[in-house]
Amino acid sequence: MKLAELFDRKRFILMDGAMGTQLNERGLKPGEKPELAAFSMPETLEAIHRDYARAGADVLFANTFGANPKKLAGTGYTTQQVIAESIACARRAAVETGALVALDIGPLGELLVPAGTLEFEEACSQFADMVRAGVEAGADLIVLETMTDLYELKAGILAAKENSNLPVLVSMSFESRGRTFTGCTVESFAATAAGLGVDGIGINCSLGPVEILPFAKRLCRCVPAGMPVFVKPNAGLPNPDGSYDITPEEFARDMREYLTTGVSMVGGCCGSNPEYIRLLKETFADKVPARKVPVRKSVLCTPVRCVEVNGITVVGERINPTGKKRLQQALREGDSAYPCAQAVAQAEAGTQVLDVNAGLPGIDEAEVLTHLVKELQGVTDLPLQLDSSNPDALARALRIYNGKPIVNSVNGEQAVLDSILPLCKKYGAAVVGLTLDEHGIPKTAGERFAIAERIVRAAESVGIPREDIYIDCLTLTASAQQEGAAQTLEALTRCKKELGVRTVLGVSNISFGLPCRGYMNSTFLTMAMQAGLDLAIINPNTPEMMGAVRAFRVLTSQDEKSADYIEAYAGVQVQTTQSAKTDTTAQVPVSGGQMSLFDAVRRGLKAEARQAAKQALEVTEPLTLVNETLIPALDAVGDGFEKGTIFLPQLLQSASAAQAAFELVKEAIAASGRQGESRGRIVLATVKGDVHDIGKNIVRVILENYGYDVLDLGRDVPPETVVQAVRETGAPLVGLSALMTTTVASMQATIEALHREGLPCKVMVGGAVLTPEYARQIGADFYARDAKASADIAKQIFS
Amino acid sequence: MELSLPKNLDRATTLRYLGAANWTPDENTETLLRTAESELRAACTPRGIWRELPADLPWLHDGGSDLARHLSGCDGVVLMAVTLGSGADALLRRLCLRDIALGAVADAAASVLMEGLCDDLEAQIRTQQQKQGRYMTGRYSPGYGDCPLAMQDELCLALDTVRGIGLCVTKEHLMTPRKSVTAILGTAEHPVTGARAGCAHCVLRETCAYRKRGTTCETG
Repeated sequence: MKLAELFDRKRFILMDGAMGTQLNERGLKPGEKPELAAFSMPETLEAIHRDYARAGADVLFANTFGANPKKLAGTGYTTQQVIAESIACARRAAVETGALVALDIGPLGELLVPAGTLEFEEACSQFADMVRAGVEAGADLIVLETMTDLYELKAGILAAKENSNLPVLVSMSFESRGRTFTGCTVESFAATAAGLGVDGIGINCSLGPVEILPFAKRLCRCVPAGMPVFVKPNAGLPNPDGSYDITPEEFARDMREYLTTGVSMVGGCCGSNPEYIRLLKETFADKVPARKVPVRKSVLCTPVRCVEVNGITVVGERINPTGKKRLQQALREGDSAYPCAQAVAQAEAGTQVLDVNAGLPGIDEAEVLTHLVKELQGVTDLPLQLDSSNPDALARALRIYNGKPIVNSVNGEQAVLDSILPLCKKYGAAVVGLTLDEHGIPKTAGERFAIAERIVRAAESVGIPREDIYIDCLTLTASAQQEGAAQTLEALTRCKKELGVRTVLGVSNISFGLPCRGYMNSTFLTMAMQAGLDLAIINPNTPEMMGAVRAFRVLTSQDEKSADYIEAYAGVQVQTTQSAKTDTTAQVPVSGGQMSLFDAVRRGLKAEARQAAKQALEVTEPLTLVNETLIPALDAVGDGFEKGTIFLPQLLQSASAAQAAFELVKEAIAASGRQGESRGRIVLATVKGDVHDIGKNIVRVILENYGYDVLDLGRDVPPETVVQAVRETGAPLVGLSALMTTTVASMQATIEALHREGLPCKVMVGGAVLTPEYARQIGADFYARDAKASADIAKQIFS
Repeated sequence: MELSLPKNLDRATTLRYLGAANWTPDENTETLLRTAESELRAACTPRGIWRELPADLPWLHDGGSDLARHLSGCDGVVLMAVTLGSGADALLRRLCLRDIALGAVADAAASVLMEGLCDDLEAQIRTQQQKQGRYMTGRYSPGYGDCPLAMQDELCLALDTVRGIGLCVTKEHLMTPRKSVTAILGTAEHPVTGARAGCAHCVLRETCAYRKRGTTCETG
């Protein structure tokens, strides 16, 4: 058959059935590698393919599912050899019926960072090896299947599209809860894969036809009308011993339900055989696939969270260094724990999308933004708004983003449109268009609307659909251009109504230069929401802003029975006080009397510690507070811990309370513009190969509480990264952790690398399998028994 | 297959993992334990997989002398793998940023829930074996005694854990999701007890904090 028939949806396309099941039934011995069947049992493999072709399969999946470098390691065969031979085998079997032959690609068998240790680009490169071998071997198309990790799937799609011109079909495997093992939803899969420009999308394995049906229907609703959808279910659910119960007749009967769903390609997965495909062929022959009726939605997503932008949606603005000294400092120092904590806090406050901006003079924006996106993906499931106008930074961040992000921004300037829109298209991102151009921001709503029209035309011309275009009509500062607010809102309403696009505003800019900014911000936000605002870029930690959003949702019947509103505010008291200089609106849980910072830390009470620190900082210098209160409190707790009167959970609660107080101290220091007097720099890492980092995380918090500047390199850190960090920071102390005996070797390698480079730092080590003797053996200067001991070592070094 | 988390979190063991054995937790720590447990219950997707295979699998021969002792007299093995899922890992990363005390307590609690899952699945398999008139040893995991951690690769391949429960092995033979356990159990026609490596065969025997206190990691 011709390749184009796959996609014209004039008839149902039949795919083949299980390969593994068939190999086992036809003589593959336990322990034998199914990937090598083209060499070990070529006649059998060819017979399986031929039986599927004769049964009516239009597409044969070559036996290349696991032909990746990892799975072939130690077999004596390369990816190229296995793919060439396997595709040749399928091709021989296909000659008789003219069936197409697909390069079949399954998961690599390793989880990607942050869930595992496989780097995204390494995954791309393994897939690229397979794709190139498939092209070379003459595959007609590429199928990425049985994927459970959206990030790995993205690596595979990029590899396929960057290394071939073949059509790419992709399918993921869902559990009965409607998510993959890694939590990916059907909608996130559809939005991401369709955005990356695949040619067909499907669901296979894990479940039988009955269980997959509702997910297939959902999939048909959320992919573009022209994109074929396919299913390859298992022969029912597996029994505990791995066998399957559904007969070919039952399978064909259950599959009948798919006739009307919009699905246009069908086949089988585990447990099926050529007889299943033959009966499937009978069922679907001469039938025409139903027309899909997709619902066009504006969505942004990560694997586990798909946010539909339909009604007011909150974008948290806190990870943007403009005007935020503490974040500037963190970005300059490469400290990702601070922005990550900001992300977690904004998520808890009700943010639905996180803005991420790394534009700061003197730093490598592309490098920092990419790093930040990687780190944020590890700790939040909110979709990101990549906030940059630097094409290089955007290209790199878009590449490693896991899901469908939104880019902020392009504007009406042709050069900007030309450089950034193709990137958004390639990586399937939504895009924000600012209504300004090389002549600046137009005064009137009409002129801004004209720019918006231009942006929409340009975006659509590169293939970005209208539902992915968000127009920002620009918030002007009311103190400077009072009449601007009305123009902004008028333009916003027009864009929404006449262009059918989504709208976005950075709200807080309205109040710049005015006192009591909260009043201005929340009022303008309310007006904008009424004018049709979709994405509000705000500070979600400000109670009155989230209050306005939640109230608006109640009053526009988006929050049914006020459920979310009540959940957020039941039991909350709003206290408003105004004094001559300050305006504070605060929500406080009803609590008892005041407590000193010392006591709050000693007793491990976080909220009280924060409150006490806030008050103390009004009258005390930040560093005095650290030296005279925080550290003595931590010492008191540490002494108790050593004596055995205080236990680790209590020590950690004190650390957590101290951390809350310390955050305010750091903000105070950053705001004062003075360089905080660091007590010393320390580099921390969980060594290469190890993913157990809870101990290192505890040590980081304790050391930071003592006022040290800690650069935490994370886990699975290669020796050269530690060396580079020590060289760049000049840190006199390095802390390394490893949990497993096997990874102590890489701890030793790290210490040796530091010595080899002649870096004058001392090294302390810790971890379950280490002892003072063992530490000495591997060349460490100190053995840290626990977190408290690491603080004592630091004291010794920096005294 | 889908597994159910133990009904109750064993708090005493959780505290033991946190180095606070036999301590009656204060009110704040009680709150941490409660929060950790409820967050974990929402985030975990516990899954397990097991297969019974003949004991003469070629790769089992490379498992070292301790495993051989454990399986002596057995003609079959049960391979099992259990995971809390990647949601648990993501939660633990988040909690460490939100509150390190909560993060550490949740990390320990996750390990305890994991143990409970393994016990439950093992009991289920044991009942099945008993029905067939067969006997079974306890669990033995790669990395115990002189059994190389690298055996994790073969074990997970034999169970096809990637496809079955989403459990992968890193280049350094560590499991991801992190809160996962694999084990080998011997089966036989006649009663077998197996031989857990025990202290005498443990790689930590010279340095173990429990042994220094005169106890073991199993008794606290």
